[in-house]
Amino acid sequence: MSERVLVAMSGGVDSSVAAALLVEQGYDVIGATMKLFCYGDDVPDRPCCSLDSINDARRVCERLGVPHYVLNLESAFGRDVIDDFVTQYAAGRTPIPCVRCNTFTKFRDLLHKADALDAQWIATGHYARTRSGELLRGRDLTKDQSYFLWGIDRSVVRRMRLPVGEMSKPETRERARALGLTVVADKVESQDICFVPDGDHAKVIARRLGQDTPALSRGPVVLLDGTVVGEHDGYARYTIGQRRGVPGGFPEAMYVVAIRPAERAVVIGPRAALLGRGVVAREMNWLVDSVPVGTRVQAQVRHRAHATAAEIVRVDGAEIELALEEPVSAITPGQSLVLYDGERVLGGGFIERGGAARTALPVLAA
Amino acid sequence: MPQPVYLDHAATTPVRREVFEAMEPFYGPRFGNPSSVHRWGREARAALDEARERVARCLGAHPDEVCFTSGGTEADNLAVLGPLRAQREKGRTVIVSTPIEHKAVLATVHHAAHGGVTERMLVVTTDGVVDFAGSNGAIDDSVAVCTVMWVNNEVGTIQPVPEIAEGVKARGGIMHTDAVQAFGKIDIDVRKLGVDLLTISGHKIGAPKGVGAMYIRRGTQIDPLFHGGSQDRGRRPGTENVAYAVALARAAELAVEEREQEWARLEALRDELEQGLVARIPDAIVHGRGARRAPHVLNLSVPGTDSESLLMALDLAGVAASAGSACQSGNVTPSHVLLAMGVRPELAIAAVRMSLGALSTPEGIARVVELFPALIAKARRLSGAA
Repeated sequence: MSERVLVAMSGGVDSSVAAALLVEQGYDVIGATMKLFCYGDDVPDRPCCSLDSINDARRVCERLGVPHYVLNLESAFGRDVIDDFVTQYAAGRTPIPCVRCNTFTKFRDLLHKADALDAQWIATGHYARTRSGELLRGRDLTKDQSYFLWGIDRSVVRRMRLPVGEMSKPETRERARALGLTVVADKVESQDICFVPDGDHAKVIARRLGQDTPALSRGPVVLLDGTVVGEHDGYARYTIGQRRGVPGGFPEAMYVVAIRPAERAVVIGPRAALLGRGVVAREMNWLVDSVPVGTRVQAQVRHRAHATAAEIVRVDGAEIELALEEPVSAITPGQSLVLYDGERVLGGGFIERGGAARTALPVLAA
Repeated sequence: MPQPVYLDHAATTPVRREVFEAMEPFYGPRFGNPSSVHRWGREARAALDEARERVARCLGAHPDEVCFTSGGTEADNLAVLGPLRAQREKGRTVIVSTPIEHKAVLATVHHAAHGGVTERMLVVTTDGVVDFAGSNGAIDDSVAVCTVMWVNNEVGTIQPVPEIAEGVKARGGIMHTDAVQAFGKIDIDVRKLGVDLLTISGHKIGAPKGVGAMYIRRGTQIDPLFHGGSQDRGRRPGTENVAYAVALARAAELAVEEREQEWARLEALRDELEQGLVARIPDAIVHGRGARRAPHVLNLSVPGTDSESLLMALDLAGVAASAGSACQSGNVTPSHVLLAMGVRPELAIAAVRMSLGALSTPEGIARVVELFPALIAKARRLSGAA
C-alpha cells in the first residue's frame, strides 16, 4: 500500500502541480482546501481562497482521480492569524501573516487532519525543499518561499513534501499544462494577503477594532528630533521604509523610519536613517541543532531581500541579537528575521527592533 | 476496498429504475410542449395532467391543487413568499416558523423579514421537537403564514404538524409544511389535515434532482415567484418539465405503496445501527433520542471528535455520511438545528448524520457498526495526544 499524503490545495498552480507530482510519484494523494475566513460580499474575486478556488482545487483533484475535501479552519485561522495581524498593526508593527498561517494553520492544524486520515505526509506548493529533516531554500531563488516557513516545528519538517521546490515557476506552469491542468496553469498569481480585500488592510483592522481605533486615527508626522511636520490618518497605514503619504518639502526624500503607537506618531527621516547594523528578534524557532553565539550566518529581514552576512551576538531564551556586516535598510518590527547557512534554513523569529551594531561580543553573565 | 456503504439518503437518493423508465419516452418521441395545440402538444399535456393526478392521489389532493416546481427549495420559497401580499391586505404581517427548518425555509423567512414582515420562532425542545404548547401566544390573528417542517432533515424528529396546523387554521392563518423528508415515511392525507401548502421533493424519493411539487389548497391565494406564461394557472410560469413531472409521479406512487413496509425495514436497520454504535461507544449522544423520529435518520455526536475528520475518514473507508445538510462549498460548520436544540458547539461540530434508504442493507449497517467505533477510537487517541 502506498504512502498517504495530505496536500494543501489552494486552487492555484503550485499546489495543483504539487499534488499531480505526488500522484506521479505513486503516493496515495488526498487533496484538501482550507477555508480560512468568511467569503463576504466584499471579497468577490480573490485569486486565492475564494469559493472559485475551492472549485478549482476540486476540479484538479477530479482530474487527478484523488479525493478532495474542504476543511473549515475559520475559527483557528481567525484566532491565530487574523487577530494577531490586527494586534500587530495596532502595536505599530508590520505583521507577516503568512508565517503564522504556515506555522499554525498549515503545518499544525492541517497536520492534525493528516493524522486523522492516516496520512504520514503533508504537502504544499511552497517553493522550498526539505533534505534529511532540514528545510532548504527553493531551487528557484526568485520564487523561494523559505522565508515564510521558519516557524514550522522541526518534527514536522520530516513529514513535509514540497515537490515544486525543485522547480522554477515557468517549469511549474509548463508542468501544469503538460498535465492538462488547464484550470490553473495560467492563473494569475496571488500577491496580496489572502484575507485582505484589495490590499486594503485598514479595512480588516477597522472591522475588528472599529473605524475609530487609535491605529486608524489621526496623529502627528514627526521628524527624528520630534518636530511635528504634518498629520497622518492612522499609523497602521504606514510601514517602515514607506514613501507614499509622507510629506514633501525636504531637501531629500523622506521615508517612514519608525512608528510610535503610544504617541500615534509616524516618524520620518532620510534614507540614511533607515539603515541598521543590528537586529533583535523574538519567538525564535530553530530548525537545526544549537546555533551558539558567535556563529556566522546569513540574515534575511524581508521577503525578496538579500540575505546579509551576520554574526549572532546574543541568544537569550527565544530572543536573539545579530550584528550585520553591512547596513540593511528598513528593518521592520513584525517582519521575520530568517537565518540561513547557504541554502539551509537555520531558524527564524519575529523582528522586535533594529539594533545598534556590535562589533565586539558583549560580556554575558555566566 | 470493500463494498461502499451509502448512508446519506437524506441528502439524495439514486433514481429508481421504474422512475427512469417512466420518464424515458419524454426524452424521445414524446417531446412535445404541453401548451401546443397539435398532437405532440396533446400527448405531452396528457402525460402532464396524468402526472398531476397521480401526485394528487398520493397526497389526497385535487389535481388542480398540485403545482410542479424545480424542487423543494422553490416550493418552500413559493410557500413562504407567495401568500404574503394577500395576507398583508388582511392585516396579517407575521410569519411563524422554527429555528430547525431547512435553510430553504429559514433563509426565505429571513428574506421576508427584511421586506417588513415580522418573524416569530416557535420554541424547540432539546430533543428537536417544536414545543407548540410551550410557544404560548405565538399563533394569533396577525399570523400570515406558519411554516413548520414535518420531519427534520438533520435529526429525523417528527414535528406536531397536525396540531400546529389546527391552531393556525383556528386563527385564520395559512399553514405550510415542508414535507420533503416526511413524504414516503409518514401517512399524508391533506383531506384530514389543516395544512394549506405542502412541499415535496423528487430526489429524496428516487426521482431526479430538479423536481418537486407543492400542494396548494383550493382557495389559497398565492402570488407566483416567476412571471411569464399561464402554465399551471399562472402559479408557475415556464414550459413544464413533463419528464420530471412523470418521474415525480412514479416515484411518489412507489413511495406511498411501499411506505409501511419501508418504514419497518428502515427502522429495524436504524435501530440496529444506533444500538450497535451506542453499545460500542457508550458516551455517544444520539440527537433527538427522546422524540418520535422518522426511521431513516440517525444523528449522533461523540465527545472529543470532530465531524470534519470523521466524515473524511469514513469516506476514505467507503462510507458516505454527512454532518447535516449539505453546504455549498462542501465544508462543515456547526448545524443550526443542533445549536437550536441547545447542543453545545463542541458537540455540534462532532455530529455525524447517517441516513438510510433504498441502498441500505444489513451487511452495510454491520460494516459501519464495526468501522465507526474504530475511527472514533483513533480520533480520540489523536485528540488526546494533541
